[in-house]
Amino acid sequence: MQGNYVDFLRDRYPDLLAAAREHLAISAVSILLGILAAVPLGIYLANSRNKTLNALVFSIANLFQTVPSLALLAILIPLFGIGAKPAVFALFLYSLLPILRNTYAGFQSVDPAILESAEGMGYSPFQRLLRIQFPLALPYIMSGIRLTTVYIISWTTLASLIGAGGLGQLIVSGIGVNKEELIVSASICAIALALLSDRVLGVVEKRLTKRVGKKPEASWSS
Amino acid sequence: MNRRTSWTAAVLITISTVLAACGSSPGGAASGTIKIGTQTYSEPKIIAEMYKALIEDRTDLKVDIVPDLAASPIVIKSMDKNDVQMATLYTGEIFNGYFDIEDTKDRAEVLKQAQEGFDKKYGFKWFDPYGFENTYAFAVRKDVADQNGLKNVSDLKDLAKDMRIGVDTTWLERENDGYRAFTRTYGFEFAKTFPMEISLVYQAVADKKVDVVLAYTTDPGIKQYNLQTLADDKQFFPPYDASPVVRKDMLEKYPALNEIVPLLIGQIDAATMTGLNFEVDVNKRSPRDVAVEFLRSKGLLK
Repeated sequence: MQGNYVDFLRDRYPDLLAAAREHLAISAVSILLGILAAVPLGIYLANSRNKTLNALVFSIANLFQTVPSLALLAILIPLFGIGAKPAVFALFLYSLLPILRNTYAGFQSVDPAILESAEGMGYSPFQRLLRIQFPLALPYIMSGIRLTTVYIISWTTLASLIGAGGLGQLIVSGIGVNKEELIVSASICAIALALLSDRVLGVVEKRLTKRVGKKPEASWSS
Repeated sequence: MNRRTSWTAAVLITISTVLAACGSSPGGAASGTIKIGTQTYSEPKIIAEMYKALIEDRTDLKVDIVPDLAASPIVIKSMDKNDVQMATLYTGEIFNGYFDIEDTKDRAEVLKQAQEGFDKKYGFKWFDPYGFENTYAFAVRKDVADQNGLKNVSDLKDLAKDMRIGVDTTWLERENDGYRAFTRTYGFEFAKTFPMEISLVYQAVADKKVDVVLAYTTDPGIKQYNLQTLADDKQFFPPYDASPVVRKDMLEKYPALNEIVPLLIGQIDAATMTGLNFEVDVNKRSPRDVAVEFLRSKGLLK
């Protein structure tokens, strides 16, 4: 059985790599779109005083979250057709809530006293955002993004059911032809992708923190 | 919560957990239950409802249907573990690597290998077929067929390089009758393949998102979306005759089943099965109603 598995890998690794590439592409685009939408939205909501708007936006994001993934994919077909487009859109909708919530929480966590002092020292709203709020909120935002990335990579396996390809395709066909090696290998690839992405994002977080995350106290004395 | 309350709560929780676990023991226990497993599409579900009606009418046994098992290999695994005791399976399943087989496309040979192989390996009795097969067929929109004079699969040879094809995900992976083997037999490829859940391919071709699909022959989508199937002129696909399959230990335990299961053998031809699938998938009737109506029309149920 061991020998067979090695042969199997040797035969099929191009397919596994191709599927992993497709899988990563779908996940990456979805998460990027999610970040582009949810981070600015989270910042805006945290700084606004409109409680109704907050509640409304979070309810909508929550709603997307609770729609069962398979159902959502099927519902999107008349709008987007089959293939990568509906998959990316569905995953984008799923990524909204966690990123939004974490961004919002991050900005909420900034001590208003610090902001008031900064205002008193002549910081414009934009400077407050960039040099105080954003650096302090960064750990929250990054943790939201990292969490979402791992989820999205896992959920992307469903995309194969509507023709988007990816590792899910190998898993589903492995089930259909009674080939356990295929199911296991594709799943391991998906896990590896998720762990790798989390690692990479961890490095990105460190770099960003160094560049942007100067302690507010330090910048006051300059 | 004081100690008395938490103690009572703990006892109640334990009792309900134990009861729940007892209730879900595999079928065939003292309660006289038989479980029928089905795949995800309507066809085996309708047949399961037929057997449920027949068995519950003629015996004291209770029938539970376990629907939506992801694929036939999963159904077989469940039967092997005795999580279900009965299912509808298709003879072409022998090519999925359960036991050594002789490569043949002969209908009788394939059936024989299925019956012998699954008996020897798993102790299943693979009965004779219902009377229909549900195999693969290439299908295009009627207007496309008329425009290009398409009757056989070979007629696609020159057009295929510009065509997108929708298929069920597994077909790309199948060794014996999958895409790779197909390109060897027919000698051409398609421009791009879109693997997806089978139920979606019909809408996809009707909406022109793909140009040709690999359909299942008894799916109502062919009729519903006005598609034309192409003849397999090179006899590429093996037979996929559908039969009831039951665990032999179940047949020994409840001998009445030996009389009931054969009631449907030879009773359902392809046109009939497609019609029943149509009632459920397109006219949205419940599989149970459709099954009972069919049995009554055959005089098998009052």
